[in-house]
Amino acid sequence: MNRLLVVFISFLVLAFHLSAQAQTENETQHQGHSSTGKLQDTNILPPPPANLPDWFNNKKKNHIFYKRGKYNYDTYNIKRLAYDLNAVAVGHAMAYEDMVTGKAVGLDTKTFDRINWVLNNPPKFMPDEANISPTFGRKYGVLELVFDWTHILHAQTVDVLASTDFTEEEKDNEIKALWKFYFESVPYAISPLPMNMAYLDGQPYSGAFRTKYPKVNGLFWGYHWLQGAMYDALLNKTLQQQIDVYEVFGDRYHAIELYRTDRSFMPMFAETSPRFSEKYPYIANAFDNLHMLHDMVNDILASDWIPEPEKEKQILKAIWIVSAEAHKGETPGDVKEEVGMHDHRFMLGMPGMGFMKYGTEDVMFMDNMGWMSMADCHHCSMPLAEGKDAWRAPTVSAEGWTMRTRCALCARDMAAETKGAVIIHLPTENPLKPAVVISDEMGNMTTDSPEIIFLENEKSHRSCDRWSLTFSSLKAFQNYVAANPEFKNAQPVSFEDWSGLRGKKPDTYVKPVGPEGNPYDIQPEEISMENE
Amino acid sequence: MSRAMFIKSFQMWVISMIMVFGMTGTSWPHEAKCPHCELDIVQDTPEQDNEVALMYGKKRIEYRCVMCAIADSEKSYKGDLKVLAPSEIKGKPVELVRTEGKWTAPDSTVFIGHKIKHRYCERGYRAFTTAEAFSKHVAKYKAQLPDAKQITLAELVKIALSDIVQDEKKK
Repeated sequence: MNRLLVVFISFLVLAFHLSAQAQTENETQHQGHSSTGKLQDTNILPPPPANLPDWFNNKKKNHIFYKRGKYNYDTYNIKRLAYDLNAVAVGHAMAYEDMVTGKAVGLDTKTFDRINWVLNNPPKFMPDEANISPTFGRKYGVLELVFDWTHILHAQTVDVLASTDFTEEEKDNEIKALWKFYFESVPYAISPLPMNMAYLDGQPYSGAFRTKYPKVNGLFWGYHWLQGAMYDALLNKTLQQQIDVYEVFGDRYHAIELYRTDRSFMPMFAETSPRFSEKYPYIANAFDNLHMLHDMVNDILASDWIPEPEKEKQILKAIWIVSAEAHKGETPGDVKEEVGMHDHRFMLGMPGMGFMKYGTEDVMFMDNMGWMSMADCHHCSMPLAEGKDAWRAPTVSAEGWTMRTRCALCARDMAAETKGAVIIHLPTENPLKPAVVISDEMGNMTTDSPEIIFLENEKSHRSCDRWSLTFSSLKAFQNYVAANPEFKNAQPVSFEDWSGLRGKKPDTYVKPVGPEGNPYDIQPEEISMENE
Repeated sequence: MSRAMFIKSFQMWVISMIMVFGMTGTSWPHEAKCPHCELDIVQDTPEQDNEVALMYGKKRIEYRCVMCAIADSEKSYKGDLKVLAPSEIKGKPVELVRTEGKWTAPDSTVFIGHKIKHRYCERGYRAFTTAEAFSKHVAKYKAQLPDAKQITLAELVKIALSDIVQDEKKK
């Protein structure tokens, strides 16, 4: 009996010991976590490749500048947009300088207030960021070169879109020429391939900045929103249309987008400019990858558990991950390893966006919208026009997103079902003459092309791209009806009448389904760092 | 296989399973998230209407429940508007009107405003054309709605206003 008692007590002691040890290990592990729940162990940070190209070690200024063109600075045709972009440059630079000069502690308070003042009182000319963040430039010179080079592409492509000297065809050619100049002139180009966002945002340091400095991070993601949304706001529009549209976008940018701290992920280019992203996927991807590089650098700098010398290495590593050079010979759709550095899959219908967290070819998650498909109409679920016909898809811009629809009815009804001011882009039979419709908060619609005529002969949405169309004139409507006898009894609908119509609920709608809940709430995400 | 690889593979398998089984579910008509609570909008069924609509000018915005619609009306919209709240009669919503800030509903309209799991909030916050219809509803869902009392429109508006305050506090 005594022996049994001893065995029992020994067992209890052992159990207690094991339990205490597990507790200690658990506590040790928790003490070793950063604010984002990652282990504070620099061993988990894979080093940059040993044989980085020579330009990574560049410490010289190497100031680089614009491609020559008569369109340069034409963004100032839309003054409000130009000034807002000037302020973005100041905001970025101020935050970086404070982060590397020991003022990070005041980032979400003092720095935020300083930046916010500039955003509301923007400079009239584009500042040289190097003058605002000299310490950052000295320390991370090559990073600044990479940033600058892609910012130049940003500026010049917007200049082209805002130019009144070029035809649409000339603008298209110049944007392609700008890309060639960007990609071939110097080695600092960012990869034009779609990259896996779950991988880029799944680094050991990911999330540190947004957790620590949610307000400044909100500003940064607000800039990304503007830098994405402005492309569809300008593409294929007259100057007056661009000015009118930017009044709506600018109001939203200043009232909401800059101050949002509830985003699950940075705004993606294709979520805000799907027409531009479909047409120039390599540019949309480069900009998304650039914006991710910004996020990665922010996270590295905000991770106190990473020693300074290691931060410099990790920044070089981040540049390498998104650089064009690291992905030489790879093409869109290639996937060497899923959710890894060389995962270049993209969604059906949207070559200008890499896979999002838990995304698939068919669906991706968007805040406030849930799981969405990029290849189908967001109102009736029917497939959108693709390839050379992609321009035929109308778009609806509201609540910070821009989505494509299959027909004019889908665009109008989606606008009526969405809160706030809405911009509808309606292609006509003439690719050079789209109509722009602006709806106010009460759904009252106005257009600068009141002569447009609609066909609305409502049937099943299986064929809505045939029975709901916009025409630039009555003559164009009559030509279409003559060529399509099934509509011989259809009456032309004026803009005024059309804006007051309301279609039935689409018979073809299928709700896109993905994993339950918001995938960004699932933490922590473990992403493989192998095979790099 | 590393631990990270195993976890990733398992996560992907779970997601694939959810997606495969999810895809076989019902096809729903066009919908977005509820602008107030950000949950899916509960669709009408052949037996019962669930979609709440806020009519503001030419806009028709859908909500998950009548409390969400009133709360968002108070939070986001100035001026006159209407809320179409599904009632116990299919195809015959109750019209709640806000004119110059004052809410009105047809006589005899009663409401339920009972805190319930969000999954079932279209049961906890509803309009009824009569008190009898309210009693029938509470009897039908007695497990989820124990002690539920009928309330007036003014009381429902009060609940909605306190929900806005709670929401603001969370921010």
